[in-house]
Amino acid sequence: MLAWDLADLRLQLPILACVLILQGAGFVLGIGLFFRNIPLSAATFVVTGIPVVNLITAGLIFEPQIVADQRAAGSYDFLQSMPAPRSMSAMAWYTVALITALPAVVLTLVAGVARYDLHLDITPAIVPAVLAVSLTGVLMGYAVAHAITIPMITRLVSVSLIFVIFGFSPVMFPAGQLPGWLAQVNRWLPFGPMATVMRSALVTGMTAGVGRAYLALAAWAVLSGLIASLAVGHRR
Amino acid sequence: MADAGGPAGSYLAALPSSIRRGPDHWLASYLAMLRFDIASQRTWLPMFILTQVLFGTGMAIIYGFYIGPGMSPEVALFIVSGAPALAAITAALIGVTSMVTERKLAGTWDFIWSLPAPRSAAVASTFTVYTAMTIPGIVATLALAAWRYGLHLSVSPMAVPAFILASVMVTSAGFAMALAIRDPLVTNVIVNALIFVVLLFSPVVYPITQLPGWLAAVHRVLPIYYLAQVLRASVTTGLVHNVTASYAVLAAWTVAAWVATTWVIGHRR
Repeated sequence: MLAWDLADLRLQLPILACVLILQGAGFVLGIGLFFRNIPLSAATFVVTGIPVVNLITAGLIFEPQIVADQRAAGSYDFLQSMPAPRSMSAMAWYTVALITALPAVVLTLVAGVARYDLHLDITPAIVPAVLAVSLTGVLMGYAVAHAITIPMITRLVSVSLIFVIFGFSPVMFPAGQLPGWLAQVNRWLPFGPMATVMRSALVTGMTAGVGRAYLALAAWAVLSGLIASLAVGHRR
Repeated sequence: MADAGGPAGSYLAALPSSIRRGPDHWLASYLAMLRFDIASQRTWLPMFILTQVLFGTGMAIIYGFYIGPGMSPEVALFIVSGAPALAAITAALIGVTSMVTERKLAGTWDFIWSLPAPRSAAVASTFTVYTAMTIPGIVATLALAAWRYGLHLSVSPMAVPAFILASVMVTSAGFAMALAIRDPLVTNVIVNALIFVVLLFSPVVYPITQLPGWLAAVHRVLPIYYLAQVLRASVTTGLVHNVTASYAVLAAWTVAAWVATTWVIGHRR
């Protein structure tokens, strides 16, 4: 399935990898323009939050749109009929999402550190953090892609998720800058915990509740996996 | 002719003997095309207004989250008075370009050009509908953003020409771009890149002095900065200087878009 995905998307994947780099580095450089003098804490939050966006865009945003296109084109049923376990299809996508996102994560961090003169303390926890954030994003994307059968709704959900992640989640700014009710809602959503997990592996002293964040990600991954397995295992 | 008295001859005789032209014909065609545009877009137009209001207001709120609790009233005023420009630009970049592209893919433009109406009347009608639909988005975005930040705006009578010129300019530029670029995929890439540039790298919700010199110089040629200045000047006092130059640049961009549109629609394949 991995070979299939890589061959099927051979034209789109390099473009997606470039888009992720431009999106991440562009955002990191652009956000500084909003401040006359950007505070160091704000710059650190943005630079350590944007890798989350890099990591989950392929799985959570791009994958549902590909599946929506497959449904619209009629190739979805053909792919589902292949003699390969459907769980392997999700794992293949996980690999593709990681391969696509990792260059963007590295280059975005380099651009952010150079632009704002930051110092990062990268610990070995970066490995489980990257794997957990990407896996949760892929499984959530997989659930959205397979549980929603109307392509237009799938596209609407994935576009809305971009807005939610960039604008209404404590990923690139502290939860304290959101209204109280929205900060409370975000305690139960996966995007804040994703940022906590990543940030804790990149800088020291800016995060609390890392254990709870990993648990939240595990819960979202399991829930999404269940929804996806029910959707793809369901006989029509 | 030998067969002038046959069936074909009688059919030809029934056709008007002269080409209809003149202001009356143009006006009648324009009104007919206006009915056509409103009827064909009736389900999409409410969505068009909603999208721009959500986008403009949403971005005004989101910028506030990023800047945080230390936001000064001046920064808040910049964000609020820049939000309607974001709404208008979104309307053109997302709404108008996708309408033009969809019509292109469906062959609707070929049908429209084949109608017995001057092409200029057909285009003028589309411009009118989308300009009229952009203005409510500007007003609603401004009101919602001001309410969110608890600001009082000083709306001047210049708001009327400012809102109209801004709407005409974005509609014309979006229309010309989508019509002039042959490949819809290229249009899509340009639209996405422009949205990114407008949201992050344009002096719409922050002063142009916060940009690096080279980027500020680029924005002194593009219409985005002037669009924001014209709208800001009409609802605030003391923030914008030399607004006449901004009106002139916006008018020049509007005329350039009309020239480009005229060239594309007058070009026979």
